[in-house]
Amino acid sequence: MFENPLSLVSGIIGTVQNFTLMVARSFRYIFVHFRFRESLLEMDRLGVGSIPIVFLASLFAGLDMALQFSVVMAPYGAINLLGKVVATSVIRDMGPVLASLVMSARVTAGIASELGMMATTQQIEALLVMGVDPVDRLVAPKLLAGMVMLPVLSVIGDFLGVLAGLAVAVFGAHVPAPLYWSGVRTALTLPNLVNGMVKPFVFGFILVSIGCYYGLRTSGGAQGVGRATTKAVVFAAIWILVANFLISKFLIDIWGWKL
Amino acid sequence: MIRLEKVTVAYGSRVILDEIDLEIPAGKTMVILGESGSGKTTILKCVLGTLHPVSGRVLANGQNIATLDDDELLRFRQRMGMVFQEGALFDSLTVGENVAYWLWEHADLSEEKVEARVRTLLRFVGLEDSIDLKPSDLSGGMRRRVAIARAMAAEDPAFMLYDEPTTGLDPFTSKSICDLMRRVQREFSTTNIVVTHDLTDAYRVGDLFTFIKDARVIATGSRQEIERSSDPFIRTFLSLDS
Repeated sequence: MFENPLSLVSGIIGTVQNFTLMVARSFRYIFVHFRFRESLLEMDRLGVGSIPIVFLASLFAGLDMALQFSVVMAPYGAINLLGKVVATSVIRDMGPVLASLVMSARVTAGIASELGMMATTQQIEALLVMGVDPVDRLVAPKLLAGMVMLPVLSVIGDFLGVLAGLAVAVFGAHVPAPLYWSGVRTALTLPNLVNGMVKPFVFGFILVSIGCYYGLRTSGGAQGVGRATTKAVVFAAIWILVANFLISKFLIDIWGWKL
Repeated sequence: MIRLEKVTVAYGSRVILDEIDLEIPAGKTMVILGESGSGKTTILKCVLGTLHPVSGRVLANGQNIATLDDDELLRFRQRMGMVFQEGALFDSLTVGENVAYWLWEHADLSEEKVEARVRTLLRFVGLEDSIDLKPSDLSGGMRRRVAIARAMAAEDPAFMLYDEPTTGLDPFTSKSICDLMRRVQREFSTTNIVVTHDLTDAYRVGDLFTFIKDARVIATGSRQEIERSSDPFIRTFLSLDS
């Protein structure tokens, strides 16, 4: 039941090595053999197709966040800061993380199962035999689409989250709309915006690369596809949260924010 | 010509091929026969370069495949056609797009020329009317035909590899696939390797025959030479099939 520690370590090293090689080759193809048509198609599939779920998730997260903050802030007479607090949380953290976690369920699972099916039905091998590197044809366009579209989706999600917060502020906490908006405007600082764009860019990379990695390495028929998909979604979600913390820490140090 | 010299493939302590020697002369069809799991498909993978032997050499027209880097391998495979067991057609593309795929990737042709070539190939395999169908709409036999057309899309395929091309097909369809494989060899002068465990189909398409057992070649030669073999495994194999 328990793996031999030595084979566990060698397995981890092998995974890191193979994953790094796949990513390195993808970036090489993005720069030296850019597939415009395939990349656009992937952007449409991964990005535009995800707008409805990101819309719903951001809407309810914004509503809930404004509600919780107003309950905590009202007794201290800080309700006039609601706009700033909601916008800061949404732009720096909640927007990118939420959009990515929702996307991991849709995009990572979709990629892993699609490539997994291709692997188990020898379609990946067929590509290789036709002199086409699957990383070039399948991974690189998806990776580029993920890194371009997640920041876009994140901005849409941020806007909706802040807008949902406005509804709670005005109708629930009776904060005047201009006051809420002036708070939001003070949150639109360069550090916050950089934070809000760097994170989804990295998360887009994580979502797609992990989905592709586990998809391409699928074996064992339908059960194998299911296993690869589950693994990909779980690892993507964990790595998004780990990366979120690391990027937050890094950017806090860069901007010199006091803890 | 394809030549395997003392090729050994192993996963850990499990030996799949043990010092295999094989030679397929140019323009001939070698059929590899043996039980399921005896390493037949592994030979194809070595020739394709998707699997590297732990020792020995795989030579295609004098070039050692094991020493090629990834880019050289991709270029080398452009002159190779492979028909997989279930066809391995791209299920997101139509029949026509499947056949056109090689041309889109490697040939600098206008859409009209690509379509003309696709239609020629589909006519060759008797499926021109199915150009707009998806692989899921095809029968097993039709999928193999499309796979053959796709494998021939390269302007000048030098090698054709078939992995159990008639498995799961009815006897009539099997025969028509075998006839098609023979036509491909005749008209394109390709060097072919066919992996199968069906002796009837093997005799239909093969010039030379090799039996694999326990990771080793136990006999190789023409039909007459194989039928004269006194090896108990071959005798049993031949008697069971007849």
